[in-house]
Amino acid sequence: MQEQGSRRAIGSGLKNEGDYMIIPIRCFTCGKLIGDKWEEFIKRVKNGEPAGKVLDDLGIKRYCCRRMLLSHVEIIDDLIKFYGKRDVKNENRR
Amino acid sequence: MKVQILEKNGDSIRFIIDGITTSLANTLRRIILSEVPCMAIDDVMIIENNSVLHDEILALRLGLIPLKTDLDSYNLPEECECKSELGCPLCRAVLILDVKAESKERVVYSKDLIPEDPKIAPISDKIPIVKLAPGQRIRLEAYARLGKGKDHAKWQPVSACTYRYMPEVSIDYERCDGCGECVNICPRKVLDKSNDGKVEVRNLLECILCRDCINVCPKDPPAINVNGNKESFIFYVESTGVLPVERIISEALKIYDKKCLEFLEEISVNLNVSKKDENN
Ligand SMILES: [Zn+2]
Ligand SMILES: [Zn+2]
Repeated sequence: MQEQGSRRAIGSGLKNEGDYMIIPIRCFTCGKLIGDKWEEFIKRVKNGEPAGKVLDDLGIKRYCCRRMLLSHVEIIDDLIKFYGKRDVKNENRR
Repeated sequence: MKVQILEKNGDSIRFIIDGITTSLANTLRRIILSEVPCMAIDDVMIIENNSVLHDEILALRLGLIPLKTDLDSYNLPEECECKSELGCPLCRAVLILDVKAESKERVVYSKDLIPEDPKIAPISDKIPIVKLAPGQRIRLEAYARLGKGKDHAKWQPVSACTYRYMPEVSIDYERCDGCGECVNICPRKVLDKSNDGKVEVRNLLECILCRDCINVCPKDPPAINVNGNKESFIFYVESTGVLPVERIISEALKIYDKKCLEFLEEISVNLNVSKKDENN
């Protein structure tokens, strides 16, 4: 549960997980490019910096863009683990 | 008409246009949003994709990547002389993506998209497109073309294009007793008290015309008044990076010019025709 809790802290509440499992490229509302800022954002937030300050540093001003990073959960990381294992297993069988 | 540039940093610009009507200001805004063309990936030929993202989602993500646009060397496909569905080197640019994750997980970034024409490249190298598990591979050819925001938001050259009325704040010093209620309530810190206790306007341009200061004023009628000047506009234009902002604005005005000329031509042709009808 500890891990769940910490993930909620950076945001959750996805409905269509299949569509948004990787950071969207642009803000849904205004169209600003936000995809390229995700990795720095999440690295710094995990290092304990306040998310609001990191967003300010990255030059993300509008709240439509800020919620894109703030509420994102990178589900693809969890999915990829299964694919990796499956492929390795298949190769062993051969 | 008077134009004053307030600030310009990187991809955004803020300026005042004085002496135009709302309809003209909105025309400029709408042309910038929906008619100024820019490059975006439109067709994708997927040769191999066994990543966790479906082909459609992958193609959508590729389409949304902002590409540096060269308006002078490329034609809009509908205006290109080739008239071909696939396009020619004058109306489309090819980008190639071929990435395989060998023994470790690998993130596919926009820098892995290899453009045929180096002028049409992603504006940022660090956009994650997809993540691959060991053994997964993506191989595709993407065709970028010029398009307009009215067809798809990926062809919108700006991420913000707004205007608002120029604020005008007037304080009736004969009735204002300097209680400071308006200074405290202003969400944008437009007002401030001077050393001798007089309420002064400090950052007029920050005012968002919320009129909280009027509502909070204890005097009746209020000693402060806020109004928007309906012939003066503060414009804010923020490019996505595909084109410099100045170019976007000048391109929008050129498009407007072209529309007006076309209208003039059409109307004079029609007028001449009806004159001939009268003579007959
Ligand atoms: Zn936004
Ligand atoms: Zn062509």
